[in-house]
Amino acid sequence: MVFILGNNFLENRLLKHCLETFYGIGTKHSTRILAKFSVFPGARVGQLPTKTINDITAELSTMTIETDLRRKMRDNIQRLRDMGSYRGRRHAMGLPVRGQRTRSQILTARKLNRIDRAN
Amino acid sequence: MRKRIVLSNTNALEVQGLRELDAGLGETNGEEVIGQVVGLMGSTVDSLRAVEAFKTAQGWGLFRRPGLLVREESVALSRKLIMSEEGEMLRLVIDGERGTGKSLILLHAMATAFVRGWVVLNIPEAQEVTNAMNDYAPLPGTTPTLFSQPTYTANWLSQINKANTTLLQDMELSLTHNLPIPLQSNISLSRLCELGARDPDVAWPVFQAFWAELMAKGRPPVLLALDGLNNVMRESMYRAPDTSFVHAHDLAIVNHFVGYLSGERKLGNGGAVIAATNRSHAPKSKSLDLVLTQLEERQLGEEEITEKDPFEKGYDGRVEWALGVKDVLKLKGLSKKEARGLMEYWAKSGVLRKRVDEEEVAEKWALAGNGVVGEIERGALRMRI
Repeated sequence: MVFILGNNFLENRLLKHCLETFYGIGTKHSTRILAKFSVFPGARVGQLPTKTINDITAELSTMTIETDLRRKMRDNIQRLRDMGSYRGRRHAMGLPVRGQRTRSQILTARKLNRIDRAN
Repeated sequence: MRKRIVLSNTNALEVQGLRELDAGLGETNGEEVIGQVVGLMGSTVDSLRAVEAFKTAQGWGLFRRPGLLVREESVALSRKLIMSEEGEMLRLVIDGERGTGKSLILLHAMATAFVRGWVVLNIPEAQEVTNAMNDYAPLPGTTPTLFSQPTYTANWLSQINKANTTLLQDMELSLTHNLPIPLQSNISLSRLCELGARDPDVAWPVFQAFWAELMAKGRPPVLLALDGLNNVMRESMYRAPDTSFVHAHDLAIVNHFVGYLSGERKLGNGGAVIAATNRSHAPKSKSLDLVLTQLEERQLGEEEITEKDPFEKGYDGRVEWALGVKDVLKLKGLSKKEARGLMEYWAKSGVLRKRVDEEEVAEKWALAGNGVVGEIERGALRMRI
């Protein structure tokens, strides 16, 4: 098991996939991190030297990801709500925010649009 | 399994009276055996196998023992190789349509080099160097930054050692090296390679030390070979720290090869740098195609040389610099005489169960696009209905 930013990963997993399990890291950022530390895309976490793992953990801890990113998003929604804007109200009511029609198919909006949005 | 090479077929017949590709054949350049198949000696086969000169798609598994067709082009090439032992090093690109035998001419060159006591360094698939399947690391103190590939280099060193072991065992260190590992002063070059192969972290510095030793006075000539030139004449799939793609010439191994191919550096004790292109699943390179066309036109003495398309953006100056070679060996189909010799060998091996006469040879030769050897093989041996 390899420990990256408080999470355990199996040794045979690709580093790129491990990075992409963090909320806020997708293809773009994982590619950038791999390039920054000269790790080839097929590298598995078990093969990497401890120094690289530590460097990557340090890099991740400077980024706004996981809880920080979730909090930032919630703050943004809360700000809209506090201003009393239309978008804030729509979030609070769990309805589509960007002018979609509401006659049918608003399941995604019901699921996601809330003041204390989780992800 | 994907890379398994079968070099013998016990069901095939033993061909009687097969000439060996030995030093004696090299002396006369093999002119008397043009159009005949020659057998490879056991030691050469072992060495060639170690440098991965045999490819899976080639038909080695059909015959009792590995053999090579001697073509006019291969004779001309061995003559050049022998000349390069004394004089100027040979820099050559082998080009030709798909199935014309580029890799086999390269193999012929390597076999000749082995029997003549050269040290052979082969990059069997350039694609494996550039497609980002091995680890890499920036080399400190290089501008522009070069990238070494520790695992690949370690593996390469062990291949070099295995292929040339009889030669390298007799050579002792003659220079002093500043390496990250402690080194005895009287070890053989074979041992030096072993040390590099054992530890990927020191593989590149060890390779440089090994190369410096090979370039020292009194060492044998060296053959540097590479198959799949197209793959190194473009950007690799590795990324630099700023996420841009690393040009293949900035990979230390390729940089080393290209330095000699371009003529920027010279081989100390004579020898040759040979690269073969790949025409079946290779990436396109505008500059490579342009330079090869120009070289070929110059060789044929044509008056009009193809020029750069002024509206094309895809040219790469580094590729044009790297291909500062004088020679290009443009392979075409076999002559009818060579095709006949090859088919007679197949018949003697019991693989081709037909009478080999003029009509049969002419038919297969014509159907194979005027003697493209890969197509003759496909038509005669593989597609039996």
